[in-house]
Amino acid sequence: MPVLDEIEAEIPALRRYARALLRDADAADDLVQDCLERAVARRRDWRGEGPLRAWLFRILLNRLRDLQRRAPRPGHLVPVEDLYPEPGQPAAQEDHMALSEVRAAMARLPEDQRRALLLVALEGFSFDEAALALEIPKGTLMSRLARARETLREMTGRAGKTKGILR
Amino acid sequence: MSDEELLAYHAGALDAAARARVEARLAGDPEARARLADWAAQDAALTQAFGDPASEPVPERLSAVIAEARNTAAPSPAWTFGLSRIAAAVALLAVGAAGGWFAHGPAAPQPGTSLAQAATTAYRTYVTEVVHPVEVPASDAAHLTSWVSKRLGHPIHAPDFATLGFRLMGGRVLPGEPGTAAQFMYENDLGQRITLYVTQRAQGEDDTAFRFFDEGRESGFWWVDGPFGYALVGDISRDALRKIATAAYEQLI
Repeated sequence: MPVLDEIEAEIPALRRYARALLRDADAADDLVQDCLERAVARRRDWRGEGPLRAWLFRILLNRLRDLQRRAPRPGHLVPVEDLYPEPGQPAAQEDHMALSEVRAAMARLPEDQRRALLLVALEGFSFDEAALALEIPKGTLMSRLARARETLREMTGRAGKTKGILR
Repeated sequence: MSDEELLAYHAGALDAAARARVEARLAGDPEARARLADWAAQDAALTQAFGDPASEPVPERLSAVIAEARNTAAPSPAWTFGLSRIAAAVALLAVGAAGGWFAHGPAAPQPGTSLAQAATTAYRTYVTEVVHPVEVPASDAAHLTSWVSKRLGHPIHAPDFATLGFRLMGGRVLPGEPGTAAQFMYENDLGQRITLYVTQRAQGEDDTAFRFFDEGRESGFWWVDGPFGYALVGDISRDALRKIATAAYEQLI
């Protein structure tokens, strides 16, 4: 498929990832637009090293780093309570995390863990693809994923809870 | 059990043997089983919390970036020059024969539209033919392939669009610049016809992505790849044309 068509096909996924990282729909679309402009301009440089979406997400992440360097924003330092209202009642089922709970926990994750976990868990990237997109060795990716998942479990109170149930 | 093994197991990234080994150990490891269950819950929760944008319509400003790239990536001057000459020559014929669809003038040819115009002219000339729409019918496919390949100087076969409802009627060879062009014609059950126009490519021309063109009633996609420039033309929806063009591209690699 021509590269432009492939790039176009990834726009929904890029938007989803950008919004999950930035938690601001307009800022996320700005980032995606920036990424697309760069990808389109450089599409002849892409020589098929790895899947195209890993290359696209790498551009997006590099762009995000540039933007954050230029205009440091509070990012994950924004009080979580301001971002997501507390639910009126606790989660009804043991097996389902409340949305506000998972959003709040994600907001507290260190940035590098959040980027890694969202690529794999939300975008369905393979470990190789995610390592390419993040420009880190696969081993580093795996340890970030493991830490992110464990931190999430602790934040959502499940690590202790499940142990208790099973013992 | 190591985090890496468990993560790979969770991602479905292990081969059958490794998976079986992990499963055997999981049977006696309730803590690992609990972690796996939580990870699955995390995945579901993340998709639920952040998945929405992927199903929303893509905002205009984002699709516009791609559309602009399709329209503005100019082919090299050599290519445009060669095709402008064909278009001009064909236009002269068309003015005489059909009353001049090109009469508003070749004053400011858009880069790359020449291929589209040449293909559209050929479409208009032959698609309306009742008796001789094609020179070699699809029933003589082997001859069609060898003849067109020989005249265009590279192997080329008519792609198959049967799964998209269009069956090959046949093809013909046309004058081209530099050299020769060919036209394959297809028809669906509704009697709608589309053509795939293939022309020899000028020296030094870069590959291009699909570009959409609209010539009035007819529209289509053109692209340059390998030894040829291609243009798919029809009087059907853009979406249908795109699907067929994609199928052509995939089969012609």
